[in-house]
Amino acid sequence: MTALTPRPADAMQQVLDAAAHTPALRRAGLVAAAAALAGVALLGVAGWFLTGAALAGLLGSVAAFNYLLPSATIRLAAVVRTGGRYFERLWSHEAALGALATVRVQLFGQLASRDPRATRDLMLGDGVARLTQDVDALEDAIIRSPARPAAIAGGVLAVLLALLAGPAPALLLATGLLALPRLAGRVATRMVDGPAAEAQARASALKALVTDQLAAGAEIAVYGLADPVSSAVIAEAAAMDAARARMVRGEAWLAGVLVAAGPVLAALVAAAAALGGASAPLAALAALAAAGGAEVQGAFIRARGKDAALAAARDRLTGLGADTVLPAPAPVGEALTIAGHQLLPGGRLALTGASGSGKTRILESLAGWRADAPQSLQLGGVPVAEIAFATLGARFACAPQSPVLIAGSVADNLRLAAPGLDDAALWDALETACLADDVRALTGGLDHWLGEGAGQFSGGQRKRLSLARALLARRPWLLLDEPTEGLDATSEAELVRRLGMWLDATGTGLILTSHRPAPLALTGQRIHL
Amino acid sequence: MTAAATTPSGSFAPRSAALRRASLWWLADLAGAFLFAAGLAFTIGCWGGLVPVLGGLAAMLVSGLVRAAAQARAAEAGMAAAIDLKARLRARHLPLLFATAHARARMAGEDAARAVDQIEAIEGLAARYQPLARAARIAPLLVAGAVAIASPVAAGILLLTLIPFTIGMIIAGGAARAAADRQLTAIGRLGGLFADRLRALAEIRSFGAEARIASHLGQASTEVADRTLALLRIAFISSGILEFLAALSVAIVALYCGFSLLGLLPFPAPENLGLTAAFFALALAPEFYLPMRRLAAAYHDRQTGEAASLALDIELPAPAASPPRSTVFTGVTLAGVAVAYDGKVAVGPVSLAVPATGLIAITGPSGCGKSSLLAALAGLQPLHAGTLDWTAGTATAAAWAGQRPLVMAGSIADNVALGGGNPATIAHALEASGLAPLLAARGGDEAPLDAAGSGLSGGERRRLGLARALASGRPLLLLDEPTADLDATTADAIIATLRRLASTHAVVVATHDPALAAAADSRLDLA
Repeated sequence: MTALTPRPADAMQQVLDAAAHTPALRRAGLVAAAAALAGVALLGVAGWFLTGAALAGLLGSVAAFNYLLPSATIRLAAVVRTGGRYFERLWSHEAALGALATVRVQLFGQLASRDPRATRDLMLGDGVARLTQDVDALEDAIIRSPARPAAIAGGVLAVLLALLAGPAPALLLATGLLALPRLAGRVATRMVDGPAAEAQARASALKALVTDQLAAGAEIAVYGLADPVSSAVIAEAAAMDAARARMVRGEAWLAGVLVAAGPVLAALVAAAAALGGASAPLAALAALAAAGGAEVQGAFIRARGKDAALAAARDRLTGLGADTVLPAPAPVGEALTIAGHQLLPGGRLALTGASGSGKTRILESLAGWRADAPQSLQLGGVPVAEIAFATLGARFACAPQSPVLIAGSVADNLRLAAPGLDDAALWDALETACLADDVRALTGGLDHWLGEGAGQFSGGQRKRLSLARALLARRPWLLLDEPTEGLDATSEAELVRRLGMWLDATGTGLILTSHRPAPLALTGQRIHL
Repeated sequence: MTAAATTPSGSFAPRSAALRRASLWWLADLAGAFLFAAGLAFTIGCWGGLVPVLGGLAAMLVSGLVRAAAQARAAEAGMAAAIDLKARLRARHLPLLFATAHARARMAGEDAARAVDQIEAIEGLAARYQPLARAARIAPLLVAGAVAIASPVAAGILLLTLIPFTIGMIIAGGAARAAADRQLTAIGRLGGLFADRLRALAEIRSFGAEARIASHLGQASTEVADRTLALLRIAFISSGILEFLAALSVAIVALYCGFSLLGLLPFPAPENLGLTAAFFALALAPEFYLPMRRLAAAYHDRQTGEAASLALDIELPAPAASPPRSTVFTGVTLAGVAVAYDGKVAVGPVSLAVPATGLIAITGPSGCGKSSLLAALAGLQPLHAGTLDWTAGTATAAAWAGQRPLVMAGSIADNVALGGGNPATIAHALEASGLAPLLAARGGDEAPLDAAGSGLSGGERRRLGLARALASGRPLLLLDEPTADLDATTADAIIATLRRLASTHAVVVATHDPALAAAADSRLDLA
């Protein structure tokens, strides 16, 4: 795990297959089957025991009735069922948690082995949320997977017990148990899938509508439109609720099929036993075993209802692909050409121009994060979009417009820049970025925990933390997108002064965008886009 | 995971008839269970007798249908209760949320989550957990009562198992809470790590840190797994106790009945038990703990629902009192105006004179407070310092158009009329804002728009906002970035329209656009 080598695309397939076949999961399957066997046996044997005891009592043949074996079986079955359920849950969770830890690392490794320019679309918007949901769906499937051996074991035992009452009851029960998944599947397709898809689509539409209307918050307040806007949203939400209610009705029918199966199969088995002339104790055994056998199918059939969603999640995770590796052209020399302007190592350039003219796209294209800058960009005479990501990563350190900070301490964020940085180096970088005083004021200082998205930090503070991190990476070129945003004039002047000294001392090149005039003093050349 | 009903917070204590219906249907499910037990008992107890066996078999068949129908109706009624509750929550929260959304523009994601996700998260609690919890308060007693008809001793056995059950749940619940307190913060922190690091993947790669992060992720995932398992090992004990007593109660009833029928009880027989009665008791025994097991299965619904209801209970700030309105407007003077969020000054102090007509541009970098200043002029934002001096003597009504004007389902004319106005002012506003080409293309001002504003270009939507501002008849137009993200031709056309409007209105724009700033009569630079 210390070195990431490019992974073949089907490595994920292997990891997922391995996740579904761990020793813990086999154990969970075994104990689940044991619990199902015990559950069926408990009911069936108890029924047989009662009836046999009653007959023996009536006939006065109590001495001949072996009550030790059935009573011991009943006690044992009660204990095995409880223990089996406990260890099934524990071990299936153990299997899922352990396997998914591997899957997550594999997924990260696979995405990290690809060029960020090729995976950009995958990671934008709610792409990351979908990937994590897919991983969660796999986890859920592993936890539920012992339901299958349990359903098979419980079903087989129920049929065997019914066989004691005659071939007809057993045949009837086997047919019923085999037909149950099909019947349930048909109800699901007819009554659940359609409304579920509609409810899902309406939920997305509702979220989009609310997000859109919230963006017009000032207009709503100025014209006093909160009530009509709310009414429109409430009407949309009611349509979603109606679809969900239809889905619940479908699910209720599905559940109804599973619920009715127990009593109906018990009645049919008892009727077949009566017609076949079976004794009362064996008829009781068969009828209660049929009810128990039908009950253990429920969890398995419900888990199968999620098969389609699971297969889609699996496809997405295994279909992440790999980059087609073309021989990347090697740059000749280190000269940088941006929209026709040439920069030598250590050179400094400012990009100006209106919003939308492509300043941010130039910086992020140089960093290798995207490839959609409208202007021509070359490194050593080769278009940047054709250069391998690793080559760009070794040359440019970027503090972007919307920096991504990781959930972790201030130090964790800074140490991302390079291995083996000591505290003194971190403080130096924070001083240069004019953030040292802010960090000193935090409880814990460098160890202060920044939550997801570093919520407690203002936009300007996040930007300067990202700047400090870029400084620590010590790349030949620094890419800064609006570095002084959110600072007052005095602090801005100080940041520009310190940055200038740092650039002079290290000989690092700089490409900068700024709406504000002060940072432009750092650069010699300027391009107006 | 006990049978006790949750105590919902005051905001949504559901007392709906649907909830009562849902819990009654869960009790009706018990009637099906009684029918099955009686049918089976008669079938086995009168084995060989044609009529009782046929009757018993028929009762068993019917019981399956009764249970299926009752459970389906319970699910439907529960959903009706949940829909009712969600509708009441929306009616309660959405108007205030929308009225104050402008003050939380940076947290629009959280507002959307509050309006949609958190209200949805309550569904499971209301639809499943609460009806089950209500039913579980008396269902076990009803089962014990039915068993008592056949065998009071078997009923007593069932009730006695409640003693170890309650003690076990209290001990296991306490242990689970203690374990949760030790582990949950760490699990929460580590659990979000994977998504967090994926989001930062591009930057991680630039710093060549992917191997370090991958190994950290590996360790963290293993640690999450270990800590979660430590927690589950204890948490599952609660359900283990439930399962054990469910199985044990069946086993004890079976053994008691069996030995009683054999006449081999180690104590004097307290009752004269027949096979039919014994079988009835045995077939009902599993139903005694079933309501609690169902409740345990719905426990997750309770957790998500209660977390969401706590989040919904956080009060939103009251909307700013709307300023007195007058259409008499002869100008406004800002003297040392500053706007603050959470005590931090976002903009100011600023002084500026806005005359009754003319175009004023507020410029400066993103985040310097241009929009905050507009909001202060609109009366949406309380002043941290300074004064607004409305020269006519009273504060005046301002019209507003933002970067992405509101569009609601309805005709174009309906949308323009949202800010007020009569047919004449609306017709004039449509013309003056340059919407004529759109109306011609769409077939007039009654052409319908959907709520997403499908088919409107960015420029057309901007003009719609402008038309609404004009039709409102308000003399002060506040426009936030009226030309941002528009191509040069469209932006030039909008600027020309604004120049024209400035001869009759006071127009204040917040803008990044040098062309618009250059077209203004005066300019306030906040940089």
